[in-house]
Amino acid sequence: MTLIRRAATLIRHNALPALRQPIYRWMLFLMCLMAVGVGAALVVFIKGLGVTNLTDLVPWGLWISVDLSAIALAAGAFSISAIAYLLRRKELQPVARTAVYVGFVGYSIAMMMLLLDIGRPDRFWHGFVFWNIHSPLWEVTMCVGLYFSVLMLEVMPILGHWQPVEHRFPRLSHRLGSLHKLTPYLAFVGLCLSTLHQSSLGLTYGKLVARPIWYRPWPMAISFYLSAIVGGMALVTFISLVSARLTPRARVNKVTLDKLAYTVGWAVLFLLVLRWWDLMSMPVDYEPAKSEALYILTRGRLAFNFWGLEIVLGMVLPAVLLLVGHFRRIERVRILALALVAVGVVAYRWDTNLVGQLVVFGQVPGSDVPLFTNYTPSLIEILTATGVIAYGLLAVTFGVRYLNVIDHGEVVEAPAKASVPAAVVPSSYR
Amino acid sequence: MSSIDRRDFLKLGLAATATAAVGIGMSRIPLPMTATSAEPEPDTIIPADEPAVIARGDHDQPSPHHWVMVIDQSKCVGCDLCLAACHAYNDTPPNISWSRVEEVEPTAEGRRVFRPTPCMHCEDAPCVEICPVGATYHRYDGLVMMDYERCIGCRYCQLSCPYGVRHFNWEAFTGPNPDVPAAGHPEVPRRPRGVVEKCSFCVQRIDRGLAIGLTPGFDPDATPACVVACTYGARLFGDLNDPDSPVSIALRQRPDAYRLKEELGTGPRVYYLPAEPALEESAS
Ligand code: SF4
Ligand code: SF4
Repeated sequence: MTLIRRAATLIRHNALPALRQPIYRWMLFLMCLMAVGVGAALVVFIKGLGVTNLTDLVPWGLWISVDLSAIALAAGAFSISAIAYLLRRKELQPVARTAVYVGFVGYSIAMMMLLLDIGRPDRFWHGFVFWNIHSPLWEVTMCVGLYFSVLMLEVMPILGHWQPVEHRFPRLSHRLGSLHKLTPYLAFVGLCLSTLHQSSLGLTYGKLVARPIWYRPWPMAISFYLSAIVGGMALVTFISLVSARLTPRARVNKVTLDKLAYTVGWAVLFLLVLRWWDLMSMPVDYEPAKSEALYILTRGRLAFNFWGLEIVLGMVLPAVLLLVGHFRRIERVRILALALVAVGVVAYRWDTNLVGQLVVFGQVPGSDVPLFTNYTPSLIEILTATGVIAYGLLAVTFGVRYLNVIDHGEVVEAPAKASVPAAVVPSSYR
Repeated sequence: MSSIDRRDFLKLGLAATATAAVGIGMSRIPLPMTATSAEPEPDTIIPADEPAVIARGDHDQPSPHHWVMVIDQSKCVGCDLCLAACHAYNDTPPNISWSRVEEVEPTAEGRRVFRPTPCMHCEDAPCVEICPVGATYHRYDGLVMMDYERCIGCRYCQLSCPYGVRHFNWEAFTGPNPDVPAAGHPEVPRRPRGVVEKCSFCVQRIDRGLAIGLTPGFDPDATPACVVACTYGARLFGDLNDPDSPVSIALRQRPDAYRLKEELGTGPRVYYLPAEPALEESAS
């Protein structure tokens, strides 16, 4: 009884007033989405993948696209770290810290989605024990696993500076903080592992002779790799700028971010050329399944995604907005452009994943018509994916608010006390 | 269960780290697998409740057999007897068929033509190459096997198979099998939910037959169930290394035999005899 009463008082005095602040409402909203997602995930684990709309003809759907997008957008971690530590651009080191945290969140999203997606989640470890070195997917499994460990090591110092850890376990905090020394080496390892698996993800599709639209090993590997770098850098810059507008706890260096945004502008232009070349280099004469898939992509069901989201909104527009100084200097425009780049990369992943599955190869040479298939994610798929994405947003919010992951003012050694004004520390810690 | 020993692990680890991303994916070095006994266990009764442990292949040894299926489209009437037998003997769930029988373009005189499509047991199988955990693999005699204990259900192999013959167990198969006992009796255990399954050329029958001295392709007890079930003789099975096997004879007589999507280089082990022999072509 007393427990309930105490909880009630706690809610009345602390939780309810807190909910008047938009930030807590936002976090509560995300937690609700997560709770629904957890429920949906339980349904998946208990009932099996029959609750999805996936079929033998379209076995990879929404979840894989979320995976691919999360991994792609997490690529800012390795690319910005590499620029900051290997190319020794010191001014980017604090941005790399943000990027590493965002990357960590991205990879954890991907892991959760994958765990749901495989038919035997209890055997998730098989990839590490039973090796088939010819499989790009095996390589992805290994590299993602290893790179996730690297990210964990990189995130440790950030967690070490979390106020409760620093207060209650000063020695642990110090230990974790000292891992920071490893960062340059981790940046190198991360660069290698990421290069391997980001391109292998493209190769995962590009290696399949059965799906002619995908069967372009090199172009697929290269465009997956480069688009991941561009999308990842754009996302980190976007998150930093948006947070800086929303909360004083995010402190950014506008000059550095402006430079980054400008770089993203050029990179996205390059990506546009690459994507164009990649598509245009396909033979124009009829090839079963490939021609139909191209049709679906450019004029059929995926046409809006392709022309609208990928090309116009995802590449052309942001390139213009980021490269013309007049537009870029308007902060809202810059933020919008960066968000669009990320959207474009997500659309690219979704289109790529689906385009090879929406049309299935004719079976007899020259006689059968290719078979058109269908896929719309089921409610359960959408709810679980939303839950996992909500987790990602919550983790980023938490990081910005309590872990000071966006603190680009200068390289701060012991930021916690100085940078969190006492007035905004939640009352429970006071 | 066969597994890779520690030294192989290290070797593989070194090989893996030394090879670049795309390099790994594109290389074609055979994967060293520990060879358990290359000969099948002499066992006449196939226990349906025990997971079948099938010897993983040793590719350095040339295989004594070259199993091949020949499907005569001039004889197939599309009656699905083969599918019923397969459902029963391999105890597949009602919504999964290891083979499918499709109607294709009719002949010039308008006669209907069917094409049964089992797993092709490709010599250069895309599914074997890309399975991340090696759950689908080449047996010592080149047949493409599934290790249901190892499969993680990623369904990548379904995307990779050019013939679309792989099926995922979206749900567990618990009820009675409608084709038992009318079409036969299960010889293999049911697969769990969440793994991929496909036609096995009834290896359990081949192995059992060989162990008791039968010849697959001649003796019904050692021949895939679908071949035995076909009353029209549209399906033939046998060893291409044996010049007198039904398949060798059929392929000698019919030089117009073709395989599906040969241009992909997968090397299918299933040959088709067209419903209308292309006489001009074979004469030239
Ligand atoms: S037909 Fe498909 S499942 Fe069978 S061996 Fe070839 S690629 Fe693999
Ligand atoms: S579903 Fe199973 S057999 Fe197919 S690729 Fe994945 S692990 Fe291998």
